[in-house]
Amino acid sequence: MSVSSSIASRSGAQERMTARERRTRFWQMVQLVPIMAILVLLFGGALVLAILQSLGFAPWFGVNTFPDFSYFGALWGSSTFWVSLGLTLYYATVSTVIALILGILLALALVKTFPSKTFYKYLYKLPLMIPYTVGIALAVLMLSNGGMLSRLAAFFGMIDDPAQFPQILKTHYGWGIIAVYVWKQTPFITLAVYAVLLGIGRETEEAAAILGANRRTIFFRVTLPQILPGVVSSTLICFAFNVGAFEAPFILGGGFPDTLPVVAWRYFNDADYTLQLQGMATVVSIGLVAGVILFGYLAAYRRYERRMGRN
Amino acid sequence: MARKFNIALSSRLSPFQKFYLLIIAGFILGPFIPLIIQSFAFRWAWPDLLPGTWWLEQRDRAMVPLAWDYVLSPYSRVWEATVNTVLIGSIVTVICLAICLPAARVLAREKFRGKSAFEFFLSLPLIVPEAAIGIALLMMFIRLGLAGSYVGIIIAHLIPTIPYMVRMLTAVYQGLGRDFEEQAMILGASRWQVLRLVTLPMLLPGVVAGALFTFLVSTNIFLLTFFLGQGQIVTLPTLLFSKIAGGTLDASAAGITLIVTLPGIILLIISERFIKEEAFGKGFGN
Repeated sequence: MSVSSSIASRSGAQERMTARERRTRFWQMVQLVPIMAILVLLFGGALVLAILQSLGFAPWFGVNTFPDFSYFGALWGSSTFWVSLGLTLYYATVSTVIALILGILLALALVKTFPSKTFYKYLYKLPLMIPYTVGIALAVLMLSNGGMLSRLAAFFGMIDDPAQFPQILKTHYGWGIIAVYVWKQTPFITLAVYAVLLGIGRETEEAAAILGANRRTIFFRVTLPQILPGVVSSTLICFAFNVGAFEAPFILGGGFPDTLPVVAWRYFNDADYTLQLQGMATVVSIGLVAGVILFGYLAAYRRYERRMGRN
Repeated sequence: MARKFNIALSSRLSPFQKFYLLIIAGFILGPFIPLIIQSFAFRWAWPDLLPGTWWLEQRDRAMVPLAWDYVLSPYSRVWEATVNTVLIGSIVTVICLAICLPAARVLAREKFRGKSAFEFFLSLPLIVPEAAIGIALLMMFIRLGLAGSYVGIIIAHLIPTIPYMVRMLTAVYQGLGRDFEEQAMILGASRWQVLRLVTLPMLLPGVVAGALFTFLVSTNIFLLTFFLGQGQIVTLPTLLFSKIAGGTLDASAAGITLIVTLPGIILLIISERFIKEEAFGKGFGN
């Protein structure tokens, strides 16, 4: 980072930097070092190691054929990898979209005035506060063939045997996984959207209403463009989390072929430790796919912002 | 026209919204009712909506609910997991604060070249899938001898917590402004006095909010703890995972689920006073 040039650009090119200014600037940079060091070492280190290993660099196993693309070749050459990738993206996308719709609806309701508002402001944050594993336990309790919904169906005489209840968990449709993600992430998206709604106030909506817009038009033409930053950032985080999540697909998933994080984990726990390199190739693939999708999403959003004349 | 105008602008709930809020309450809270029932059940066969035999009817066999007797005994490792969760969460919060406070001050007040790139870099851990980081970190930590140790888990927990902490603290510093500190200096306060009497008291609510949120994120982390703990260190999320990994939920697992929920409820009640929705007004990413 060029310190002197940034000073120059800030306070005019002619002005010379005093020694005192330079010292403050130096201390400012020093304050950024710890956070930088931790993220670069852990994050960057893990990234570099993963890439090196997936390309055949693992001297501690006596494997060193770097650079060797055969691990990626073997992985990408198998059809189960693509099925796994498809499942991973399907669960992540469907649950993010459902959570987004539910979250926006909830945030729109929360800006209104109503008697039990305080209660709801506590209530909707509850799933945010507890681990995913609790959500999974609740899904098992509610959605399994012997679960509460199945009992209710029996109570209303719709079925008379647990086996007749439609299989929700442990199928590749993944409704159990999606239910857990939606349960946990609707509050997150609500929080982000609600925060933005509070920030923008209601003036623009009022103006649109005075000009004769109906509710539908107001939402799509006035409110939605304004809450879009909150929508984009929260869905980015949810989607990335869903792609990399392990516990829900592991417990509630339909078994082989698994989602990619579960596949990677299985490679790592295999007795044949050379499969760990295959696992690393899987991990790098997850990162690549997520990176490409998220980058495309952000780029599309930026383009939209520019078209709207915002930056 | 006037009627339409009223509907479009009303600050009251529409009938659909009333219905929707009820559905949401059922969706969020509903599953906890059978969970509580399950933890007190002695025998609960399939089509019954309520347990066939409650523990109360079996008092001659067990003085306390069977599930709770197990949950509260050392065999379930619940106490150990709770202590671990709170301990790791607290240490992570303290370290995270120490790292992020100075950085947030610089980010809030100074302009420098590459600042937006740096900010993007800081939020990167939020959008890189956890599984990718987790497994690669595990390989690294095995080399370094940190796998299965508290140090390793605490270091790993810094990755997802730093982005939130630095963002919340930056917002706090931006809101604080420099005026009050300058006023105090003009009136002859020393640097230490400014820090102690002006900066810290004004920062405190925001710092508490950031600390609570970091603690919350840390206590909810499953994947990093599970991968890096190597089964040697259990926290509440990993303990519950091992109980339900088979895909069934018995009475003791229901009890443990309730215990795992408890810290979240406590945090929710405390944090509602400190964490305001407005703090997230700028969004999380980019």
